[in-house]
Amino acid sequence: MSTEEPRIGVFVCHCGLNIAGVVECKKVADFAATLPDVAYSVDLLFACSDDGQEHIKEAIHEHNLNRVIVASCTPRTHEPVFRQCLEEAGLNPYLYDQVNLREHVSWVHMDEKEKATQKALELVAMSVERAKRLEPLERQIVDVIPKCAVIGAGVAGISAALDLADAGFETYLIEKRPTIGGQMALLDKVFPQNDCAICILGPIMSRVGRHPRITLLPYSELETVNGHVGNFRLTVRKKTRYIHPDICNGCTDCEQVCPVSTPNSYEFWLTDRKAVYRPFPQAVPSSYTIDKKGIPACRFSCPAHVNCQGFSTLIKEKRFSEALDIVRNAIPFAGVLGRVCTSPCEAKCERGAFDESLSIRNLHRFLADYEREHGATKVEKIKKDKKEKIAVVGAGPAGIACAYDLAKLGYPVTVFEAREESGGLLRWGIPEYRLPRDVLREEISRVEGLGVKILTGKPVKSIASLRNRGFKAVFLATGAPVSTKLGVEGEDAKGVFHALDFLNQVNSGESVDLGKKVAIIGGGNAAVDSARVAKRLGARTVTLIYRRSRVEMPAIPSEIEEAEKEGVNLMLLATPIGFIMSDGVLESIRCIKMRLGEPDASGRRRPIPIPESEFEVRVDNVIIAVGQMVSPTSILKGLEVTQWDTLSVDPITLQTSLKGVFAGGDVVSGPTTVVEAVAAGIEAAKSIDRYVRGVDLSEGRPEILRLVPSAEVDKTRAEIAERAVMPTINAKLRKSNFAEVETGLALKTAVAEAERCFNCALCSECNLCIEVCKPNAIDHSLVDEFVELDVGTIILATGFKPYDPSETREFGYGAFKNVITNAQLERLTNAAGPTHGKVKRPSDGMPPKSVAFVQCVGSRDRRVNQDYCCYTGCENSLKQATQIKEKYPNTEISIFAMDIRTHGLGYEGLYRRAREMGVIIIKGRPSEIEEIPGTRSLKVLAEDLYTGERLGTTYELVVLASALLPNDDTKDLARKLNISTGEYGYLMEAHPKLRPVDSFRDGVFLAGACLGPMDIPKAVAYGKAAAAGAQSLMAPGKFQVEPIYAEIDTTLCNDCDLCNDLCPYSAITGEGDERKVMYEICQGCGTCAAACPQMAIDMRHYRSEQLMPQIAAAARIHGGMKK
Amino acid sequence: MTATVTISKEWIPRIAAFCCNWCSYAGADLAGTSRIQYPSAVRIIRVNCTGRVDPEFVLNALDKGADGVLVSGCHPGDCHYTSGNLKMRARWTLLQMAVEQAGINPDRIRLQWASASEGQKFADGVRELTEKVKNLGPFRRGWQ
Repeated sequence: MSTEEPRIGVFVCHCGLNIAGVVECKKVADFAATLPDVAYSVDLLFACSDDGQEHIKEAIHEHNLNRVIVASCTPRTHEPVFRQCLEEAGLNPYLYDQVNLREHVSWVHMDEKEKATQKALELVAMSVERAKRLEPLERQIVDVIPKCAVIGAGVAGISAALDLADAGFETYLIEKRPTIGGQMALLDKVFPQNDCAICILGPIMSRVGRHPRITLLPYSELETVNGHVGNFRLTVRKKTRYIHPDICNGCTDCEQVCPVSTPNSYEFWLTDRKAVYRPFPQAVPSSYTIDKKGIPACRFSCPAHVNCQGFSTLIKEKRFSEALDIVRNAIPFAGVLGRVCTSPCEAKCERGAFDESLSIRNLHRFLADYEREHGATKVEKIKKDKKEKIAVVGAGPAGIACAYDLAKLGYPVTVFEAREESGGLLRWGIPEYRLPRDVLREEISRVEGLGVKILTGKPVKSIASLRNRGFKAVFLATGAPVSTKLGVEGEDAKGVFHALDFLNQVNSGESVDLGKKVAIIGGGNAAVDSARVAKRLGARTVTLIYRRSRVEMPAIPSEIEEAEKEGVNLMLLATPIGFIMSDGVLESIRCIKMRLGEPDASGRRRPIPIPESEFEVRVDNVIIAVGQMVSPTSILKGLEVTQWDTLSVDPITLQTSLKGVFAGGDVVSGPTTVVEAVAAGIEAAKSIDRYVRGVDLSEGRPEILRLVPSAEVDKTRAEIAERAVMPTINAKLRKSNFAEVETGLALKTAVAEAERCFNCALCSECNLCIEVCKPNAIDHSLVDEFVELDVGTIILATGFKPYDPSETREFGYGAFKNVITNAQLERLTNAAGPTHGKVKRPSDGMPPKSVAFVQCVGSRDRRVNQDYCCYTGCENSLKQATQIKEKYPNTEISIFAMDIRTHGLGYEGLYRRAREMGVIIIKGRPSEIEEIPGTRSLKVLAEDLYTGERLGTTYELVVLASALLPNDDTKDLARKLNISTGEYGYLMEAHPKLRPVDSFRDGVFLAGACLGPMDIPKAVAYGKAAAAGAQSLMAPGKFQVEPIYAEIDTTLCNDCDLCNDLCPYSAITGEGDERKVMYEICQGCGTCAAACPQMAIDMRHYRSEQLMPQIAAAARIHGGMKK
Repeated sequence: MTATVTISKEWIPRIAAFCCNWCSYAGADLAGTSRIQYPSAVRIIRVNCTGRVDPEFVLNALDKGADGVLVSGCHPGDCHYTSGNLKMRARWTLLQMAVEQAGINPDRIRLQWASASEGQKFADGVRELTEKVKNLGPFRRGWQ
């Protein structure tokens, strides 16, 4: 702090009548004179005028002032002015304080003059307390990097970038979309001259592309911003197009074959576009882009990651063999899993949250069926280019899947199977009516066709024996083929079966004698299978006893339904506690009733027995289906096991405790689903390949997949459609035979079902585009890149979005086909648009004979907090009206408007021209629009406010002049840059009049419609102004930053490090005596100072000893007002 | 403790207000330029960020005779300094407890968020706190 005695000068500004009209300025100045340390005080008419400032300077010299207080307007605008004044008078500019008498007193207490004056006195007294303790501070000078980042490449951003680059500054132009040009590029003509929009924009777009000092970053988004004015570091995500932009020649071949269509936002949803697209032919750069959002929920949730969206899309296109290839890329079992999969994909299908999930399993079964019907292509043997022999033990789903993938990689694979036929539980567990044996055999023989050797009836004794025979790696997939015991008395009695033994006997063709009454214990697929088999073997009553309720049953729901159709009874919430025998033969089961308690670890509600609720069920046979176990065979000896006797493996690599020996499927996981076993086989194959090649087994695994979030799936334009029903044979015909129950989807049904797919990820990686791309520009494995840019200044020009009234269905938009927005009409009149410039009604494609424009839709509307004028709607409608009149002079056109606002030069001429062409303007906003059935024309109900007449005219087309809104990511962008948004969500300028392109943050400028609705010339002017602002920082190359930052007194500090935890900028460094605040990084928030428990941190210019007396003064009583 | 104080008609409560420079001070400015009228009881002290507001500032204001204290900052997530307002919010809970422990009605202190575009919201906050403090009457420390 300054050592000399404070001599304060107080200058009270009248601001004309702005302050003096309410506050008695003279009285305030007189009062100030009475305060201690005030050496001079006076009231001035305009303190900020030349005269005023001269007066202050003279007073400083004359009265030897060393502190100055100006009581005037807000310091947010005028503090720099008066600081400059002090500097010119030779005083340090930080020995200055400002009292806000205008915004905080006279303008907010206009009716309480006495109280306002009193408040003014007190504010001055507070300021005096602070001012006497102020200290001189020196500004820090930072270098400004002579580079600018312009974010948003619409017409404002392009204009800014070109000016900057022409002035000699390196400029980065970052654009979120694949092309630059923004909204202007989508316009047909621009008012009032009705120039062609793209003809005037196109040349400057291509100039941007060619400018040596502009680095164009299209299809890129700002991720983070660090640093400060003069030295910002931006991290930008360059989204991948999956197409090399420099190789793509824009030939459109990929677009022709792409099977995925999605509503085209560039045509305002009038038409669809493909997943591979170019926004419009004049796009800069002209490269195509593949719109791929990630991995859809179906593929993500599938343990084997089968590309469900990919094959569904191709089914839609009736490209069945390519679709089947997609399934077979992932798994060998299109037909088998098409029948027995528990389909976790369908549980997560986005369609499920809309109406019913897609019948994904049945679709890939359809593909397999179609191929069987139409003759399968011959499998071609894969050339074995690898020498290392691999052994797979167990020919179940896991083993076969592993062998399949290894064979595709070129390994010689031998599968050893103990039983006489391969398939594992698919063959010996699942009944034939669910999985016909020929389907299984054919799919396994396809795997053999690739060159896999399957040896059946060959149990393997030990791993050593395989090693001795030269196998480099082993995959164990011996399954869990033993039924779990229930542990209930009498379980070994005659007439009691265990499900796997029972099913095995039946599937082996052995005869099984069952009585008339059969009970099944359990709720899984083995239980339901056993029940349905028992029914087929002639049991009269089959009862399935399950301890939880139906929703908790793990069996496939459709299987339970079919079982019920076949006459199986469900006895839920009951469990057996004992078997009652007579002469060693089962007679009945003793059961107890259950209720459901809290969910257990599996997430299902725990069953709790109800005391004294025992009852008996008379039965001849019981089949126990409560689980499966691993059988301790000799080959598993010496390997580490878990407490459940399953093999213990690394969860990612599936390697067992022995190097080079991998295991998967039920032998590791215990009994799970077929698809999980297949997935384990696939993972093991990856590990084995790495192991053989000597590559790290776990590096980069598990692969991180980006799930397409539900919120990103556009469901707004979807329509309800029922899920395909799988046809089945009549339940009566099923008795006593094992014919397949589900007969498969018909071609038409399958195609219709595939059409229900939402294309969640858009691109489905069907890879058709790769085949047709002649220059080989497409690469689906490309990933987003991150680039770091160091710049001195930033310009934001992220624009607006047109209001889409489909959410509110305003004036029937979205429901009535012939109600469109002005943005859509713009596309219809555009030669590059969907109708090639012909205005056609969406309902019948005919040119409308009458058109009504409705103005201010969503604008000037308090109900939706869009209480502002869209600035362009009136001129735009006049322009569009004249365009229609030029092409179709006999069209009747009315514009319904509250007012027609044609501001500035040229627009009145447009208004007059429209009137002269016969456009009728009606003052009045329509109350309602009704669609006429049949013609689908529209009756516009309105009141003409000039005549008071009620109108009900019918028009063939209605155009809504819809509002302009801030872009969706404006808020997010503001947060990244620590700048503010205003009431309506647009970015906020530092001052509405004097600093319209500055943000609150030094070095960050704003341009174009991200600030609010603008027409093109205004947006361009703002762009150029922002460029000028940025240049005024970059040209001198130096910037003075406020010397307001934190300081640490290390003699008080006890190194608790709390400040370091709190600092949002990591500006605190060192420990002990070395601890300090890096002033070039500190932004001066003061959070550390407030939090320091040792009071060791203080803020320059906002020191506690400066603020505390000010606070005390605010609390104390002054000027004689009684409390 | 307030029994001996007679509340006269002229009594205006004294409210010290801490406003962050980037949101609420600007919001208060906007209230001014929009000519939104609010009670004259409030005395604004400008700080860079509500994160700067040491709980001691609030206690000091009450100790020195303020009848109420307002702290007004940027909305959570909108802080010019990323998270200073969140730090203030975290302190606030403790501060309220401390104030209550000291025998002061916690209704005398108020934390609010008002952005640079929310002049009306700022004014409403002042009005609400003023009304509350008016109903509570003047604040006096027990020993006074």
